[in-house]
Amino acid sequence: MEREIDWVLIKDIISCIFILFGVCIMLIASIGLLRFPDFYIRMSAITKGATLGLGMILLGMGIYFNQPGVLLKVIAIMVFTSITAPVAAHVIGRAAVQNKIPFWEKTNLKEFQEYMAKEHLEQSVNHDKYTVEETTRQKDVDGAADIE
Amino acid sequence: MSIFQITLIIAMIMLSICLLLTAIRFAIGPTLPDRVTAFDLFVANVIGIIVIYTELTHNEDFIDVAMILSLFGFLGSISFAYYIIRVTK
Amino acid sequence: MKLLLIHSLIAGVAVYFYFQHPDAIIPYTALSTALLFLVLFSLLWNSSYFYHRSYYRKMPKLLHFIMFFMKELFVANMKIAYDIITPHYHMSPTVLAFPLRLKTDLEISILANMIGLTPGTLSIDVSADRKFLYVHTLYLKHKDIEQLKLHIKNGFERRILELTA
Repeated sequence: MEREIDWVLIKDIISCIFILFGVCIMLIASIGLLRFPDFYIRMSAITKGATLGLGMILLGMGIYFNQPGVLLKVIAIMVFTSITAPVAAHVIGRAAVQNKIPFWEKTNLKEFQEYMAKEHLEQSVNHDKYTVEETTRQKDVDGAADIE
Repeated sequence: MSIFQITLIIAMIMLSICLLLTAIRFAIGPTLPDRVTAFDLFVANVIGIIVIYTELTHNEDFIDVAMILSLFGFLGSISFAYYIIRVTK
Repeated sequence: MKLLLIHSLIAGVAVYFYFQHPDAIIPYTALSTALLFLVLFSLLWNSSYFYHRSYYRKMPKLLHFIMFFMKELFVANMKIAYDIITPHYHMSPTVLAFPLRLKTDLEISILANMIGLTPGTLSIDVSADRKFLYVHTLYLKHKDIEQLKLHIKNGFERRILELTA
């Protein structure tokens, strides 16, 4: 007895698995964006998770449509995102270092001291910057209330 | 309604939750670079939503939108980063 | 590098013209097109044995590099996902100064991109004299900085040197 294999259904199922996997990675990346304690950790963890998840979703779409033109566009988007994501991460991270965004207090900065001394960034070791800013803002608000 | 469409709708709902979480970070992010990162993830999520919408409607023209959006997201985050560098000097 | 682009262009144009032909035997789907492209490309690559020996030898290394990179991307992503889902942090973030052996702009930018694309690491800056690359990393095994440096050196830097030399 000869059994017909339903290739369309198999293709759909493979595409489904890819899409669900990619979406799960995206969701985990979004939760991580909310949970992690420090800008640099968020940055280094998140952008690449989003890149991998997006690549998975796009691959699922390429398998589903099964047309060469769509596949070419999908590969173009994947290559483009995977080239530009680390460049953007590097530029934003560098801007943050220049901008004296504080590191997490458990970060080991031993080998980074030299660079920071050269660029006059010692203040960025101050881990209480957020709280200091908040207290000054509070004082401002209080002062404004006093004036009124 | 086939299994495939149900899967796609579930994926769409999960991506919408992603957008919501990213928007929360965008709102509370203590510094400007945090918001730029959130913007990056925002663009990636929107591209994912467009891709899944393309599959739901069987209309291949939307892929071009995803392509252009990925390009402009990159340009946006780069220009924001240069703005941050410039504004602090 | 130039030969790679020329070969893929030739193979792509050949595939395109083959499917323009009205009575092509192979069905016009993504899988068959990709397979035809790969067959043509590998034929062209094999022919380069006669006129460009170094390109012939570098191609398997390029494939190996891409496979290694994919594996690295996947494993590190899973690690970070585990860290996000479970309530306690298992990470010990560190900024390390990685001594560069690479010299040219292209090599340094490829290395920085590769480091930036593996989750858990982020290349922050290159020092002005181009001797150190500052890398922010999340996971240190046994708090051992030298081991991670050795990992990057033997994993990424050696392969990039092999490809561009």
